[in-house]
Amino acid sequence: MAKHETPLLDELEKGPWPSFVTDIKRQAEKNPDCWDILGQVELSYKERITHWKHGGIVGVFGYGGGIVGRYSDMPKRFPGVEHFHTVRLAQPASKYYSTKHLRDICDLWEKYGSGMTNMHGSTGDIIMLGCRTEALEPFFYDLTHNLQQDLGGSGSNLRTPANCLGQSRCEWSCYDTEEACHHLTMHYQDEIHRPAFPYKFKFKFSGCPNDCVAAIARSDVAVIGTWRDNIRIDQAAVKEYVAGNIPGNGGAHAGRDWGKFDIKKEVIDLCPTECMWMEGGELKIDDAECTRCMHCINVMPRALRPGADQGATICCGAKAPILDGAQFATLIVPFMKVSADNEFEELIEFIEKIWDWWMEVGKNRERVGETMQRVGLPTFIKVMGLDPIPQHVKEPRSNPYVFWAEEEVEGGWSRDVDEFRARHAA
Amino acid sequence: MALSIEELKAAILKKAETAPKPQLYIKDFYACDPDSKPRVVKNAANDLVKEGKMMFWSSGSTTMYAMKDRIKDEEGAGGVN
Repeated sequence: MAKHETPLLDELEKGPWPSFVTDIKRQAEKNPDCWDILGQVELSYKERITHWKHGGIVGVFGYGGGIVGRYSDMPKRFPGVEHFHTVRLAQPASKYYSTKHLRDICDLWEKYGSGMTNMHGSTGDIIMLGCRTEALEPFFYDLTHNLQQDLGGSGSNLRTPANCLGQSRCEWSCYDTEEACHHLTMHYQDEIHRPAFPYKFKFKFSGCPNDCVAAIARSDVAVIGTWRDNIRIDQAAVKEYVAGNIPGNGGAHAGRDWGKFDIKKEVIDLCPTECMWMEGGELKIDDAECTRCMHCINVMPRALRPGADQGATICCGAKAPILDGAQFATLIVPFMKVSADNEFEELIEFIEKIWDWWMEVGKNRERVGETMQRVGLPTFIKVMGLDPIPQHVKEPRSNPYVFWAEEEVEGGWSRDVDEFRARHAA
Repeated sequence: MALSIEELKAAILKKAETAPKPQLYIKDFYACDPDSKPRVVKNAANDLVKEGKMMFWSSGSTTMYAMKDRIKDEEGAGGVN
């Protein structure tokens, strides 16, 4: 039986899509506190103002992240949401979990929390919505002791690292994303569970340039698989595609008749760098011009494969649009070997160099991408101890002046004026 | 020369007790000892939380540090209802 009239929210149940309103009503039949979620949200829709207060001192002992305090600013009217803290649980690598584990988590949440969940949050965490302060510690105890499940990240912490399915399911993955994600998650437990930085910090691992976890758009350090030799071509399979014997895109668009496969129209003409052509019935690629867009490989997976000399491209500084708009990560290292053989040593060294610099130079609540933007890419590259390379150049320069650093000029800024005047009269 | 960990912790506590704002960013504590690396200051501040001498205050996206008796307790703050 509904506790509050919700005419505005009820409108949201009328569309063709699943509605969170229906979900909350269903859960409210089990947990009457959930009626107050609907009541408060209805009031917010009516008054066009939020009635949630967020932030606070809530947490579990020993951890400085994973719990986000949330309260109602109308606790007497909506007592069921007086405390409505969010708990973030670390998602397993690639989000592989058994249905039993999910059921166990949900049972635990119905015992201690509202029963409402959000699968998954933007960073990938399993989000548990709505818990009273006094239930946090018992929930955490059962979670860790009975389900062996840890909390995720929040606040100025390293957020739960995320990765694509990688080599567990995908033939294009150029490194073991699961191993990298797991290794770094374990290596940086302190940074995940306790605040360490001026603001949040994320890294994500994609096995190939298709970037299925959108690392380039969402992470401060995006580790994106790539290769530095040539795309491997099976010319016999190319002929099969041209003859129409193998469906393009692995048959992904088979629900409609698109006509005969046309390699020129569907592959060659769509290459962004125009580095492909047919010659004597064979597909040719000028690999030096390839920008790893993956289109040709996606269309003809049985004919084309990433090269064999594999590693990852490291891009830095993506973020959502709080300051200065959203930005993609900037390429910093075009190719790095990413391997468990040396315990990801090179990657870890790279990440910690960024941290040491950003912790000192970054302003409060400034993502590393914003710090990079503020100081400029040349400064960031210098801090990272890298030499500028053509791939760092976004566009031809429009400023005619060259700004030399003192150490780049022979003799620095000091000079002997008398010696100069001996050669150049005033 | 950098302060010892105990000296650094004492300086952090003093700053947290006397700063005009009750909640402080980790960077606010860097000035407690300019010779200590940021990571050392962070570890000292987090140790003080473990020891129960300070609290984390988190907005969800950012975490700050505070002395418990200096910050508003949302649970005791009631509401506008």
